[in-house]
Amino acid sequence: MTIPLDPDISPPGTTRFRDAGGIPADRWRAIRGEETLVPTHCCFCGVQCGMYLRVHEGKVFGLEPRDHDINRMRLCPKGLNAYQQVNHPDRLTAPLLRRTRTDDLRPVSWEQALDVAAEQIRRIQADHGRDAFGMLGGASLFTEKTYLVGKFARVALRTRHVDYNGRLCMVSAAGANKLSFGIDRAANPFADILLTDCLLIAGSNVGECFPVMTQYLWGARDRGASLIVVDPRETSIARTADVHVALRPGTDAAFFDAVLHVVIAEGLVDQEYVDAHTTGWDEVKAAVAEFTPDRAAEICGIPAAQVVQVARMFATAPRAMAWHARGIEHHTQGVENCLSVINLCVATGNLGRPGAGYGTITGQGNGQGGREHGQKSDMLPGGRSISDPVHRRQVAEIWGIDEADLPLAGTSMMEMVHQMRRGEIRGLLGVCNNPFVSLPNYHVVKEGYDALEFHAQCDFFLSETAANAHLVLPVTVWAEDDGVMANAEARVVRHRKAQEPPPSVRTDTWVLCELARRLGAGDKFAFTGSEQVFEELRIASRGTVNDYYGITYARLDETGGIAWPCPDVTHPGTPRLFEDGRTAHADGKIHMQAVGWHPPADPYDDQFPMSLTTGRTVAHFLSGNQTRRLGGLVEQTPRPWIEVHPSHGFANGDPVTVHTRRGSATFPALVTEAIRPDTVFVPYHWPFPVAANEMTIDALDPRSKIPEYKVCACRIEAAAEITPVPPPPMPPGRESYAEAQRARAERLPPTSSQGRGTSQP
Amino acid sequence: MMGRTIVIDPGRCIGCQACVSACRECDSHRGRSMIHLDYLDQGNSVASSPTVCMHCEDPLAPCAQVCPAEAILVTPDGVVHDADKSRCIGCGNCVNACPMGVPKIDLAAKLQFKCNLCYDRTSYGLAPMCATVCPTGSIFYGTLDELRSERPGVEVASTFDIDGTILSTGVAVVVPGDRPRDLPLPGGAGEHPRVTGSPQPAGHLEPNADNVLGEPL
Amino acid sequence: MLLKRHEQHFSFHSIGRMRPVVAGIVTALVLCAAIYLGSRGLHNFDSALAPYAIASVFLAFGIAYRYTVWISSPGARRLFKKGWGAALSWQNMRRAPTALPRMIATYLGFQKFLGARSRSRWAAHQLIFWGCVLAALITFPLSWGWFTFTSPTGSGPQYSMNLWGFSLAKFDALSVVGWIAFHGLDLAAVLVIAGATYFLVRRMRDREAGTGQRFGYDLVPLLALIIISVTGLLLTFSSVFLHGGGYQFLAVLHMAAVVLTLLYLPFGKFFHIAQRPAAVGMQLFKYTEHGSVQPCRVCGEPIDTTAYVENLRGTMQDLKLGFDQVVLTCPRCKRLARGQAYRTEVKRGF
Repeated sequence: MTIPLDPDISPPGTTRFRDAGGIPADRWRAIRGEETLVPTHCCFCGVQCGMYLRVHEGKVFGLEPRDHDINRMRLCPKGLNAYQQVNHPDRLTAPLLRRTRTDDLRPVSWEQALDVAAEQIRRIQADHGRDAFGMLGGASLFTEKTYLVGKFARVALRTRHVDYNGRLCMVSAAGANKLSFGIDRAANPFADILLTDCLLIAGSNVGECFPVMTQYLWGARDRGASLIVVDPRETSIARTADVHVALRPGTDAAFFDAVLHVVIAEGLVDQEYVDAHTTGWDEVKAAVAEFTPDRAAEICGIPAAQVVQVARMFATAPRAMAWHARGIEHHTQGVENCLSVINLCVATGNLGRPGAGYGTITGQGNGQGGREHGQKSDMLPGGRSISDPVHRRQVAEIWGIDEADLPLAGTSMMEMVHQMRRGEIRGLLGVCNNPFVSLPNYHVVKEGYDALEFHAQCDFFLSETAANAHLVLPVTVWAEDDGVMANAEARVVRHRKAQEPPPSVRTDTWVLCELARRLGAGDKFAFTGSEQVFEELRIASRGTVNDYYGITYARLDETGGIAWPCPDVTHPGTPRLFEDGRTAHADGKIHMQAVGWHPPADPYDDQFPMSLTTGRTVAHFLSGNQTRRLGGLVEQTPRPWIEVHPSHGFANGDPVTVHTRRGSATFPALVTEAIRPDTVFVPYHWPFPVAANEMTIDALDPRSKIPEYKVCACRIEAAAEITPVPPPPMPPGRESYAEAQRARAERLPPTSSQGRGTSQP
Repeated sequence: MMGRTIVIDPGRCIGCQACVSACRECDSHRGRSMIHLDYLDQGNSVASSPTVCMHCEDPLAPCAQVCPAEAILVTPDGVVHDADKSRCIGCGNCVNACPMGVPKIDLAAKLQFKCNLCYDRTSYGLAPMCATVCPTGSIFYGTLDELRSERPGVEVASTFDIDGTILSTGVAVVVPGDRPRDLPLPGGAGEHPRVTGSPQPAGHLEPNADNVLGEPL
Repeated sequence: MLLKRHEQHFSFHSIGRMRPVVAGIVTALVLCAAIYLGSRGLHNFDSALAPYAIASVFLAFGIAYRYTVWISSPGARRLFKKGWGAALSWQNMRRAPTALPRMIATYLGFQKFLGARSRSRWAAHQLIFWGCVLAALITFPLSWGWFTFTSPTGSGPQYSMNLWGFSLAKFDALSVVGWIAFHGLDLAAVLVIAGATYFLVRRMRDREAGTGQRFGYDLVPLLALIIISVTGLLLTFSSVFLHGGGYQFLAVLHMAAVVLTLLYLPFGKFFHIAQRPAAVGMQLFKYTEHGSVQPCRVCGEPIDTTAYVENLRGTMQDLKLGFDQVVLTCPRCKRLARGQAYRTEVKRGF
C-alpha cells in the first residue's frame, strides 16, 4: 500500500475555478502597458452596453469595462465573454462548398465560392422565376449590413422574398407601435426609468435577458418607484417586485384589458390627455368593458384582486412606465398584447414625459436598427412601406433603378420555410441567422431547408443551419468591422473595428458587393466599407420617420450615441418621443386600437393539458451558435433543462420528456416553485435533439407574423434517460474546441435558471 | 470597515454571474475566477448571493492566522491578500477556517486562491472587476457616502455573529429592511443551517475512507 | 477586541522570546564545530574563504532563529510536530518505504506542483533551483574546509578531490571531468542567470506578478541571485581572458554579494527554501494519521481527513478564534446558511 502522493480531497466547490474557456492561466495575457483599448459596444442584446476591447499586436485578447452612459461600466456574463469569439479556434477559415448534402463540405477559394453562388442564383431564377431565390438577414448585423441585405435582395436578386430573424423577435411590438404611433421605437430612454414612480415590466425576464438594464429597475426602486412584473415565472426581478402577476401564458391581452377596465371603472383615466391626443378611445372602452377582473382572473389564473391592485398602482402613480419584451410579443396575438399595454399607458396619460412612457426591449443587438432599413419583407429603408407607391418611387430614385423593377412585398420568415417545402423558393442566401435552432417546429424547418436546391449561409462559426448548407461563407465577427447599431432606446451607437479579420475571412459587405457584381448589379454596390454604406443609408432615410440623416460616424465618435429621428447634423437626436403630444401619424394623434382576447393557437386537451413556454437563460444568446462555444458560458449553463413545479412529483434532475403535437424532447427537471404548476419552461438556445423549438408551434400572429413561441399545449412524463447535448457543428475534419466544451456532458439541470452555482459540481 | 470598500447587497442580486466572468478578467487573477455565486433557495426561488472575501478586521484575517506557512499577507490598507506563491503549501487551513467560506485551492498546484480585492485595480483607484461590472449594484465599491448618494438612506453592517463570536469585516453588507443596523448579521455557520429542498448534486461522496484513501497506512 | 488580539500576540512573543535566539546560537555553534572537525582542525581551512564561512555561521543562526520563530505560531507549530512526526514515523517508513523519498523527489526536487501552476515558471524555477543546489554543494564544503583539491605537483594538472581530508577521486584538470569540477560554479551561474532573468522580466511585465509586488521581498532576491552569478562568471572571465585583471575587485564584490544574500536569506523570500518541506510533512500527516474523512455536518460532502480537521480545530482553539466549529461545515454550506439567514429578512422590494 503506497501513500497517495497527490490525493484529491477538498470541500465541494473549492477546487473549481470558472476558467476562461480553456485558456489556461499560464497562457493568460496580462502584459503591462502593451495594449490598445478600442471603445466599442457589446455584440449581444439590445441594451448595447459600451465596452473596450483590449488589443495587442493586432489581436483582441480581452476587455475592459467602459463608462458609457447606457451601461456605466456594467456588463453581463455574455458581454464579458464576447471578446473570446474573436480569435476563437472554432472560427470558420475558408469558404466551404459541396454539390449535394450527401457530400462533405470542402474548403474552396473565394472566387470559386462566389462564382458557384452566382451561377446557382442565375440558374434558379432563370428556371423558376426571380422570386424562387430568397434571402434571410439578421438583426445582429450592423445597420449598414441590414440595409445592404434589403438592397441586395431587391436590386441584385430582384426577389420579393427577403426577410430577417427579427421576425422571430420584435415584430409584434413594431406592428403595435406603427398602428398606435406611426413610429416604431421605444418612446423613452432607459434613463427615464430612474424617474418613474411605477414601473411595469410585462413578459420580460430583464434580470437574465437584459441584465445590465436591471440597474435602471433597481435605481427606480431606490428612488421609491413600485415595480410590477407580469411573468408566468418568478424571475429574478419578479422575486422582489411589489406585485408579481404570475399569469397563465398566452393571456396577457385579457389581463391588460382587465387592468384598463378597472382604470376606467375607478375613474382613473386621464381623460384630458385621451381627449386631446387620441382616436379610437370609445372602441377601446367598449372592448375592455367585458374584461372584468373576475373574468381576467379566470382566464389568467390569478387572483382578481391583483388586477385591481395593478390598475390602482399604475394609474395613480404620478409617472408610470411600461416596458415589455418577447413574453407578450411571441404570441398569435402579439400585436394585440402590445397594443393593450400601449392602451393602458395612453389611457393613464403616461406618455412623452420624463419618467412616464412606454418601450419595448429589443432582444437582438440591432433589433431596433435591423428592422428600420429594409430587410423586412414589407419594408424599404427609412421605415418606408414597400407597398406605398410614393415610398417605392423615392427608394427607386435613391437606388437609381426603375420603380417597376422594385419587387413587391414578400412573405415572413416562417412562411418562407413553408414555401421552401412547397418548392416555391428553391434557393436561399442566409446571413446572420440560425433558423435550425431559432425557428419553431424544427422538423418542418428542416424539411423546408432540405428541399432547397441551393442554400448559401454566411456565418463566422458553423451554425446548425450552415452545417446543412451547400455553401458556407466565412464572414467577420462584430469586432472586425465598423458599423452602427441602434439599441432598445433607438440610440444609434458606433461599433469599431478592433482587429483585422483572419486571412480568408471577409466582411458581409464585401460578400454582398462581390455577389452583386457577379449578378450584374456591381454599379449599385460599389461599397468599400461600412461608412460608405452608412452615407447612402443616411440619404435613403432622409425625411422619413426613421431619419438618420443627421447622424454621421464623426458625430457618433464624439457622442455616446444619437437617438433617431435626427434630421440634420446639428440636431441633438430625439431620446424621448411625443414630448409635444404629437405622434408620427398624419393627424398627430395616438390611434388607440381595441383589443380582445383569444386563446393560444395550440388547443389544450386531455392529451396536452399544460403550457410549454420558452425563453432565454442569462449565459446564452439566441440560437447559441456564439455562446455555446465560449467556455465560461458553457461552464455556467452547459445544457438545457425543463423547469417544472414540484406538484408534478419529479425530483430535481429526473429525466422528463415534454410532448407537444409537433415533437418531444427529454431534459433534466429543474424542480422549482418559481413557475406556475400548469406551465413548464424550456430554454431555447440548444439544437435538436435538445431543442425547445422542436416542440413549439409555428402558428403566426396574423399581422406581425411572429410565431407563438411563448405558449403551446404540452404534457410531461417521466423518461428513462437524459438526452446529451450535441457538440457545436464544425467543418469536416475539425473538432470544436474541447476545453470550452468540458462541461457539456453535464446531465444535471443548473442550480437555478441563471446557471450552475459556482460550487455545483 | 475600510474607507473605499465593497458593499454587498444580496437582495439586489439577480444571479447572472457577471461577477464570476468578470473575476477571471482581472489581470491579477489571470483567468481564474475566485468569486462565489450561490443560489440560496434551490427549488423555491432564483435567489442568489455573491461572496467575495470579507477582509476580516477583527479577529484579523483568520485565514492568515491559521496559515502554517505565513503565506497570507494583510496590507496596512486592510486588504487580506491571496497566498504568497512561494510560501503556500496548499494545506487548505484557510479554506476551512474561513467563517465566510471564501478561499479556493488548487490541489495540484499546492496553491490557495482567493479574492484579493483586485489589488492590481484597487491599488490604482479602480474598482474591483466584480463591482465594476455588477449589473445590479449588488456588489458596490466605494465609500458609504458614495453608496448613499445612489441609494438614499441605505444602512450597512460589517459585523457578523459567527456562532456567538462577533466578527467584524472590511467588506460591508447592506442591512435588509427594518433590521436594526447595530445588530450583527447572522454569520451562518451555526449548528443547523437549513439544507435546501433539492437532493445533493451528483458527485456526492459518502464519507468513507475507502473511496478516497484506501487503507490507512 | 482589537486590544485583546494585541495582547495575544504579545504573549506569544514573550513565551518564546529566548527560544529562537537559543536555537540560533546552538545551531551556529554546531556548525562551527562541524567546520572545525571537517577541516581537520582548520588544517584544510582556506582563510581566503573565511568571510564565506563566517557568513554561513550567521546564516545557520538566522535560519534556526527564523525557523523557531516560525514554528512558534500555532498553525506552524502543530504542522511541525505532525509533519515531522509523520515523515520520521517508523511505522510509515516500514509500510511504505518509498513514499518519503518519492515525495521529496517530486515535491522538493522536481517541484511538480509548480508545473501545475505554470510550465514556464516551473522551468525557470528548476534552473534556479538546480543552479543553487549545485553552487551550494560546491561552495559550502569548500568554504568550510571540508572539500579540498590537492595536487601532488602543487599546480596540476593531476588533482585529488578530498572530502574531510579523505581523497575521493583523482582527475586530470585538463580532462572533461576536470573541466566540470573546476567550472561547476560557472555552470550553476548560467542556470541561475537564465532562471532569475525570466522571473525578473516577468516581474517587470506581468500584471499578476506586479500586483502588490514589494521591492525588498520580490525583486531583491532575484537581483541578488543575478549579481552573485554575474560577478562569479566575471571572476572566471577575468582569470581566463584578462589574466586576472580586476580579479581582486570582482572577488570583493562577489563576496559582498554572497555574504549579504546569506544574511538576508532567512528573513525574506528565500526563507521558502526552509518552509517548503512542510508541504511534504503536511501531505504525509494529512493522509497517514488515520484514514477517515470528515463529512460536512450539513451536506455530508467530504471536507478533508479527520486528522486534518482535528488539527485545524486545535489550531483555531490555540488562536482563541472562538468559532473553530465552523471547520465542520463545508465552505459552500457556510455561504448558503449565511445567505439564507440574510434572505429571510429581505422584504419584498428589498
